[in-house]
Formats: sequence, C-alpha cells, structure tokens
Amino acid sequence: MQSKLTDIELIDQTLAGNQGAYAILIKRHQRFVFTLALRFAKGREDAEEIAQDCFVKAYRALATFNKQSKFSTWLYSIVYTTSMTFLRKKRLDTSSIDDENVYIQLENHSSGMDNNLAEQKSRSFYVNRAIEQLLPDDAMIITLFYKGEQSLEEIAQTMGMEANTVKVKLFRARQRLKERLEQTLKHETKELV
Amino acid sequence: MNAIEEKLWDYIDGTCSAEERESIGKLIAGDAVYQKKYRELLALNAEFLAVELDEPSMAFTYNVMETIRTENAMQPLKARVDKRIIRGLGVFFALTIGILLVYVLTQVNWSAENTIPVQFDFTLPKIPDYLNGNVLMAFIFVDIIVALYLFDSYLRKKLTHKTAH
Repeated sequence: MQSKLTDIELIDQTLAGNQGAYAILIKRHQRFVFTLALRFAKGREDAEEIAQDCFVKAYRALATFNKQSKFSTWLYSIVYTTSMTFLRKKRLDTSSIDDENVYIQLENHSSGMDNNLAEQKSRSFYVNRAIEQLLPDDAMIITLFYKGEQSLEEIAQTMGMEANTVKVKLFRARQRLKERLEQTLKHETKELV
Repeated sequence: MNAIEEKLWDYIDGTCSAEERESIGKLIAGDAVYQKKYRELLALNAEFLAVELDEPSMAFTYNVMETIRTENAMQPLKARVDKRIIRGLGVFFALTIGILLVYVLTQVNWSAENTIPVQFDFTLPKIPDYLNGNVLMAFIFVDIIVALYLFDSYLRKKLTHKTAH
C-alpha cells in the first residue's frame, strides 16, 4: 500500500530517523529509476545494481537535498550521473566484443521481459524496443519526458544541459523512433504477407 | 517536412507561445498536409505515453534497505557522535569558564593601595663561560645525528611511496 504522504514529508521523516519512510519513497520511485537505469545498462542485473546504488547514494545525501526542486528531479540526476559512470566503466572494461554482448543482453532482456508472444508483437513492445536501441541520452530524455512527467527545464536540470539542447535532442529522438518503428512494422508486415 | 513536424511537436507538447499555437491551430484546420501529419504525430505521442515502466525484482526495496542498514552498522563510532553532546560539552565549558572569570574578577581588590611591590634582582648568566670547545663539539655531534635521522626517514618515505604506486 502506498502512503499518501508527500515526498518531502517522507524525506523529513527519514531525516528524523524513520527508515520505514525511506522504504516507502523507494517503492514509489523504484519502477521509474529502474527503467531509467535500463536505458543505460540494457541488462536487468546491471540495471538493478545501478538503481540500488542510486537509492543508497540518495539516502546518504538526503540531508543535502534543498527541497527547492522536486525530489524526483534530484533523484533522476543521481540516476543520470550513476548510469554515466557505469557506462564509462563498462567501456573501459570491455573490448571489441562489446557490441555483441549488448546485442545478446538486449535479446535476453526482451525475451525475458515477457513470454507472451501476442503481447510481444504489440505496438507497445516495438516502441519499447525502439527506445532501447536509441542512444542512452536520447532514451533517457524520451523516458523522462513521457513517463517521468518532467518539463524540458527539469530534464535539463537533471542532465546538466541547456533546455534548448534537450528540446533538440527530444525532437531528434522522436524522429529516430518514428523511423525505427516504421522500418520494424514494415518488416513485420512483409513477414506476415 | 522537418519544420512542419517541429512546429507540430511544439503544438502537441504545449511549448509554443499563444500566438504560435493559434497560427498552428489554423494551419491544422485548413491545410491537409498539416492535418495528416498532426494525426500521425498525435498517434505516435499516444504510443510513447503508453509505454510501460519496467519492474525491478520483488526484493528490490528490501535489498536497498538492507544495504543502508549494513552501512549504518559499519559506521565508525567516531562518525556517529551525536552533535548535541558536542554542543552540550561546549556550553558546559563556556559556562564554567564564565563563572570562574566572574568569581575571580569579583575577588580582585581594585584599589591601588594594596599593591604588593615586587622586587626583581635578576642577572643574566655569563654565557661565554659555558661555551667551551667540548660543548660546541657535542652540539655539532647531536646536529649531525639529527640530520642523518631526518635524511633516513625522508628516504624511507620516498621508498614506501614508490612501492605503493
């Protein structure tokens, strides 16, 4: 059951020593944080590790949250920096087989996500898969804009960019998504015929 | 086509000004190309909005809380000292010093008549008498020992730093 307390009230309770309040905060934001982490990590295990790390980091720095912006905006900025660090580390750790690994992870992720074939073939499935194939930054912007209910200014704050840059990136990401969806659906229709 | 799409996305997102909104609205109503593109983008927008969020594992919250609990338990006592205790100690010492100061000041007799005359009769020792050859030799010898000791510790530190990297 989700608490009716606001994020700020839960933060105040956490800072007063009530760890249960922080557990409610985690439950409230975990799906979104995990989805954002998946945009960078591709594999569920890595994404879960990033998401957990984000919540632990946020807990440690909770006293520094100034309550001027939304808690979600602050939390997403932690997700962004943590995910970027993960990507940088991964790039250093892996060699040329990296692309192949990502491809395998993508395949595993997609197949493990849902075994229902009918649902997999739904339009929503293709949109999700197209988002996963975007560059991490673009996928994050799309997710923050459509699912995080974040304005362009808030996304800019989260990602440390200009609002105008975010607007341009959002436009390009939507263009790419549209093209990918058209290509995929054309291919699917051909297969059906 | 990109310019049309850009305008239409601004219209859909509500990021354009009221005047722009009005003019784009008119274009959608009157221009077939705009109308077709608008419908297309609106459908795409609905699809983006319908994308479902992924769900982490069931134990996600538990795992995070467990990590936090373990970290808190491992925190050294030095870092867990309550700030209120420090403040309390500060107030205690400040009060004690203040009370002592007030007490001492009230005990002082400020009248000049009771001043006790202090008589100093101090003559400096004759230093050149002590500075003979043996003393100087001993002094130089100690200096050399200290210099060698310092040089040795500097070399040791340098060596340790080198092996650590």
